[in-house]
Amino acid sequence: MRFAVAHKTATYLMVGFAYLAMTTGGALSPMLSIAGFLAMVVSWWWEPPRIRFEKWQTAWTVASVFALVYAVLTAIVTGDYLGVGGQFLLYLIVAKSFNRRAARDWQQMYLLSFLMLVAGSVLNPDLAYGLCFLGFVISSTWALTLFHLRREMEDNLLVKHAADGGTHRVEVRRILDSRRIIGGRFFLGTGLLSFAVFLGAAAVFLALPRVGIGFFLKSRGGMTLAGFSDGVKLGGHGVIKNDSTVVMRVEIDKRYGGREAPEIHWRGVAFDHYSNGKWTRTMSAPSSDETSKLQVGPVVDRRYWWNGGKVASPSKIDELAEASVRQDVILDPLDSDVLFGASQPTIFEYQHVVRQRKPVGAFNDEMRLHHTGQIRYTVYSELAKPTPEQLRAASGPLPRNFGVYLMLGPEITDRTRALALQITASHSNNYDKAIAIQTWLKNNATYTLVLRDPGGQEAVDFFLFDRKQGHCEYFASAFAVLARAAGIPTRNVNGFLGGEWNEYQSYVAVRAGDAHSWDEVYFPGVGWVTFDPTPPADLDVLGRGGTGWRAKLGRFIDSLRFQWNKWVIEYDLSSQLALLRSIGHAIKGAAMAVKGAIVTAKDQIVEHWPFALPLALPLGWLIWRRVRRRGAADPLTAARGKHRTRSTVAEVYLSVAKSLAKAGVARDAATTPRELATRMTQRGEPAASDVGELTELYYAAEWGGRRDPAAEDKAMQLARAIRATLDAAKRAKR
Amino acid sequence: MGLWARIRRRLRPPRRLSFTREGRLVVVLAVGVGFAAINTGNNLLYLILGWLLSFIIASGILSEIVLKKLDVTRRPPPRVYAGEPFLMEVVIANQKPNRASFSIEVEDLQGKTPIDKRCYFLKIPAEKTQRTSYRHTYARRGLYTLTGYRIATKFPFALFRKSRDVDAPLEVLVYPARVTVQRPAPKTTSRGEATADRLGRRGEFHGLRERRSGDDRRDVHWKSSARTGRLLVREYEDELARKVVIGVDNALPEAVREAVKDGGLTPAQEAAVSAVERAISVAASLAASYLEVGWTVELCARGTHIPAGMGRIHEARIARALALLPYVGEEVAFAEIPKVVESVLVVPREVAAQGRPAATTVMDV
Repeated sequence: MRFAVAHKTATYLMVGFAYLAMTTGGALSPMLSIAGFLAMVVSWWWEPPRIRFEKWQTAWTVASVFALVYAVLTAIVTGDYLGVGGQFLLYLIVAKSFNRRAARDWQQMYLLSFLMLVAGSVLNPDLAYGLCFLGFVISSTWALTLFHLRREMEDNLLVKHAADGGTHRVEVRRILDSRRIIGGRFFLGTGLLSFAVFLGAAAVFLALPRVGIGFFLKSRGGMTLAGFSDGVKLGGHGVIKNDSTVVMRVEIDKRYGGREAPEIHWRGVAFDHYSNGKWTRTMSAPSSDETSKLQVGPVVDRRYWWNGGKVASPSKIDELAEASVRQDVILDPLDSDVLFGASQPTIFEYQHVVRQRKPVGAFNDEMRLHHTGQIRYTVYSELAKPTPEQLRAASGPLPRNFGVYLMLGPEITDRTRALALQITASHSNNYDKAIAIQTWLKNNATYTLVLRDPGGQEAVDFFLFDRKQGHCEYFASAFAVLARAAGIPTRNVNGFLGGEWNEYQSYVAVRAGDAHSWDEVYFPGVGWVTFDPTPPADLDVLGRGGTGWRAKLGRFIDSLRFQWNKWVIEYDLSSQLALLRSIGHAIKGAAMAVKGAIVTAKDQIVEHWPFALPLALPLGWLIWRRVRRRGAADPLTAARGKHRTRSTVAEVYLSVAKSLAKAGVARDAATTPRELATRMTQRGEPAASDVGELTELYYAAEWGGRRDPAAEDKAMQLARAIRATLDAAKRAKR
Repeated sequence: MGLWARIRRRLRPPRRLSFTREGRLVVVLAVGVGFAAINTGNNLLYLILGWLLSFIIASGILSEIVLKKLDVTRRPPPRVYAGEPFLMEVVIANQKPNRASFSIEVEDLQGKTPIDKRCYFLKIPAEKTQRTSYRHTYARRGLYTLTGYRIATKFPFALFRKSRDVDAPLEVLVYPARVTVQRPAPKTTSRGEATADRLGRRGEFHGLRERRSGDDRRDVHWKSSARTGRLLVREYEDELARKVVIGVDNALPEAVREAVKDGGLTPAQEAAVSAVERAISVAASLAASYLEVGWTVELCARGTHIPAGMGRIHEARIARALALLPYVGEEVAFAEIPKVVESVLVVPREVAAQGRPAATTVMDV
């Protein structure tokens, strides 16, 4: 490939990846993003000799001033500085791509693409950013290397000296068009380098301590997704089961989340008050029953639901956590600060928050924690349902404040109340009554997404007696109203049902379309129990995921997205500590395995030494011989292995040589000691005469063949004198 | 070599690292992104920070690799004259078996500072040698020692310039500047009487040899050629050519000599030094001019004497002596100039000194 083309291609790839990293998040106008992209493509051909840049200079200046004024005014008016900044960046990179004249313009393109990458980190926290980042790392390695070579060529190489003539410049175009400078090996080598850079970036990313002060500033507030609502208004929802956007991913044991496992009700909001077709929370409802902020470890807070019991000790809570089903949840931003957990959550762990931005009041056993973006937390739930016998036997007074779960407004019609009594008349306990109501609803109403306006009629009355068709909220509301009319404490719950099991990463992907509504009935001594009156055949419209290749591919991409969220977006101090712990465990495990293997081998040898010894001896001899031969094969190594005994004078000389080297009079390999002494004398170096005398003593001692104590004394005297002279010279220099 | 010794050798200075403008920008960006990451907790900013840091680390490792196993040889031309530009050839050999080195700069070091010229090599393939040269000029004659060379690279991203100083002394003898000078008209008629025991153009018969290409056809000894059947030519012993003694006065007052050593010359002292240098240049050029036309030349200066001789080797001997001619005091005596032969004494006009010998011609320059 021609050098200039390779450089241009690498630069465009780098800019392109940064551009996509910023725009694929959807935070910028799609029209603008596409237009900018097409303009970038056109700019590839916008260069001399086809184009004369000077001719267009005025037009670009006017356009730039206009873009700047537009950006400033728009930012002031809308207050969306980040979005407008992104748009302005988009303009700048397009303008620069159309004006690639000198090295400085290329440099500015690199800087702009870096800024786009940074902007993308806020505007686009999706998996697409990760893929663009990988592409950016590889292409930037190529682009910056080639740019460096190009600039060095232009600065240095283009001057040629001729012995028979003057200095003249070499034609730059000829070198840039050369195909010999870089080839496949260059791209392969730098590709490997960029891969190493990427691994290095990942290692640094994982190792950098997360001591941030804003754990929940993970994104720019995120998007509000449809499908789940923090309030219920009958007739208010349209078709909600058609949104396949994943809103929550839950790592859970395969026994509970697998394809064959029963579907889980992911409990979110709960309501105590029903009035005029609307479910709401009231301040008089029992607040979520919890101990406040039991901090476990430096980075994790824990909440524990009393469930009518007493405050438990931390060790008891640990035991309970061990016995419960653990769920690690990554929740995408919703229009609510409620958190979700399977059926009846008992313990809730989340990142330690130094200072909550907004105090959150939670009622009806809801889990609420203020957050603005994606959040990661852990929930422990009791999934085993109490047996019908237990529930039938449950009796006792209601706890304080539980009266709200029996209240019905005056708008509830008499025929509704009468129906409730009629359905439950033949049953003596709350459990059988609830089952009877559930069965009646399933037998007498059907599921539909096509809603009709009840007009002035009470919504439940309309559903029960006229329409007899509705979606889950109608069924749940009707059940709750009928149950309360029958004297059963009941509340309405909204959340998600089921989800798609991802076999690649063992998690449940819950989609917006899985939003669901159901009820909870209170049984004294047992607690709240889930009742879902919606007909089962119509519950799972999205399903648990198909088995075709498209469904599998979809799940695979979602698993990548899950890993991206888990290891990048939501990677925090607790993840870091967990990672370090697992590395520690792995090292310990490996050490234990090695130790075990050694012990086993030792035991085997001790046990079978009469057989092992005749085998081990020849083997050891063979290895020893091989090692010896290898050592002897290299005469240099062999020579190096022997340590020559040096005479005392030589030792003195060598130590003086070190001192001289420190003083800047080093002897290289090609200079003999005598040459060094002569050079010192010629240059008038300090102590030159003493060094000369010592050198002669050194020669006599090294090669004279006999030991001379007088010479040794003299050498030591000379060494002292030389060092003193060197020190004096050093002091004088200072 | 032990592992520890190898590590120490690798870590040992002198290896210099200086950030370029781009490198400083990357560091500033990394600090900025780091602050933003800590402040916002945005993990993608941590990712970018990780990339920037590993980018810098990779740059350091790669620059180390390209600087490894590079051997540099410098070859000055046979003659370097003061004031005249010359080309220093720089040969670099990449000893790495399978890795090319990119973007290498080589600079000669004088003391610890590089001279103002450098050589650039874009690519040195594995196990290959490349050569280039730089143009340099020494203003003054003398023996210059290039203590070593500095080998540097900004590869791969020009974030910083990494360099390694290598101790490899190279002595460059700079001959006195060549000037155009007229040989003075001879003042004596004396000629040499002895033969020089070497070949000349027209002298005593020396012998016969086989003709070689370029020999003068007039020298063919036809009789012998006819007798032997091969073309034979006559060879002659050269006559001792006309002899000239060139003297140059290298005396400078002690104050000036001290000022030269200390480097703080006044304009007047500078003029005196320039005058002596000019005299030495004139003497060297004059000697070369006489030797060119076949004269026998003897050199006399204070403390220096080169006996009479002729030919290119003698010219080099005289040039070397003049290149290294030290400044001395006027108390140092000249070698005696014989009166019977032609003699030229070159004296610097701006410097007055005692003890100058008599000569047939005195050139006041």
